[in-house]
Amino acid sequence: MNAPAQAFGSWRHIFGSLILAVLLEQFPWTGWALALRPDFVLVGVLFWVLYQPARIGFGVAFFLGLLADFQDGVVFGQHAIAYALGVYIVLFLRLRLLQFDPLRMAAQMFPVFLAVQLVVLLAGWLAINPPDNLAILLPVLGSTLLWYLLTGFLRLWHGKSLQDRT
Amino acid sequence: MAMPGQLMFVRQLGPNARLLIWLLVGVSSMVLDTRYQTLDGLRSGFSLALQPVREVLRAPSAVALELQGFFTRHRLLQNERDALLAERAHWQNQLNDTQSLARENAELRGLLQLPARPGQQVVRAALLYQGHNWFAQRITLDQGAAAGLRGGLPVVDANGLVGQVSRVYPGSSEVTLVSDANQLTPVFIERTGQRGLAAGSGRNQMELRYMPAQTDIRRGDRLLTSGIDRVYPAGIPVARVTRVTRSQSSPYLRIESQPLAGLDRSQAVLVLVTEALAPEAQAVQP
Repeated sequence: MNAPAQAFGSWRHIFGSLILAVLLEQFPWTGWALALRPDFVLVGVLFWVLYQPARIGFGVAFFLGLLADFQDGVVFGQHAIAYALGVYIVLFLRLRLLQFDPLRMAAQMFPVFLAVQLVVLLAGWLAINPPDNLAILLPVLGSTLLWYLLTGFLRLWHGKSLQDRT
Repeated sequence: MAMPGQLMFVRQLGPNARLLIWLLVGVSSMVLDTRYQTLDGLRSGFSLALQPVREVLRAPSAVALELQGFFTRHRLLQNERDALLAERAHWQNQLNDTQSLARENAELRGLLQLPARPGQQVVRAALLYQGHNWFAQRITLDQGAAAGLRGGLPVVDANGLVGQVSRVYPGSSEVTLVSDANQLTPVFIERTGQRGLAAGSGRNQMELRYMPAQTDIRRGDRLLTSGIDRVYPAGIPVARVTRVTRSQSSPYLRIESQPLAGLDRSQAVLVLVTEALAPEAQAVQP
């Protein structure tokens, strides 16, 4: 069941995927693509926290959160706090999350992504000014979908079916 | 039970303590950044590291645009060329007028012994990156301190005022758009000449603040920069009024307007670099 947790996750994989996530966010996204864009970096960090908690943790998440703050031109710390909280929730739910197949796991990750985004919203509300609208919650959908595609692809890659047989 | 890869006896801090520590670090970095602006070095570092990446990743969309341009129809190009020639003749006429006016203006200023207006240079810049606009409406341009940019300079496109340079890095710069909620632009109403203060009100909208209820303003009026702030040159189009509502409870009108510049569309913009004022002129300023 938990075999993939041991089967992959070398430093090369971890750094490669996180760098890829950062690069994907540097594309000149605009309009609706930008509004719905999944938070690639957050998905990558939480994925590795789930499967390699000894290697990726609060420090990396915090640093990548500062990077996200730079990208949006907002106060340093806004995303960093939210990412750290996301890591905490995933560590807390880790053993539970690892039991699910991709679709159910994505459904469980949805509230986690939502919580992270709500913390970004709250921190910005306190530090800068009230938000104009709730478009800030749109990437949650993109991130959840990306999580499903990512974990589903990795299961197929390891030669398993997409759903658990009960 | 201990899992494989997990220690039997805990020798490091638990998740609760770690979360608490990182939350404290996060809150203090927010305080340091908002109150004391001490983290700008980190911003410059990120900017230096990411700029080459962004320039490379901008290439695919540029290539797509090029290809699209390559396959335009010949007829379309001819039509466009005719229109452009007509337009050029028109502007040539205007330019002649402007030159004679500028000469006359210089002579009059000389007679009145007024100081000459500071000269102006234009730096062409292109959009490099755009982040989420949840809290700050900012775009990143591909020109920076190396091209002579500094904080506070106005940025325009073909249709109007885009915003103001707010942060400058060696090879790129951040522009706060006029629609940002913290961005104020001194304007006047083109039709009546009355001055006012326009503020961003979020997503591609602006509002004209503190106009008394009897102000003569209607839908369709254009707002231009007034130039009294010495930041923006006078007469740059800023916005067009879209709605004027009177409220019983407030002594002021509620005036909504739409920025004229393509804030979310413009790919190429101009930064107006004014030459620095002479030292004695600066000393007079409060």
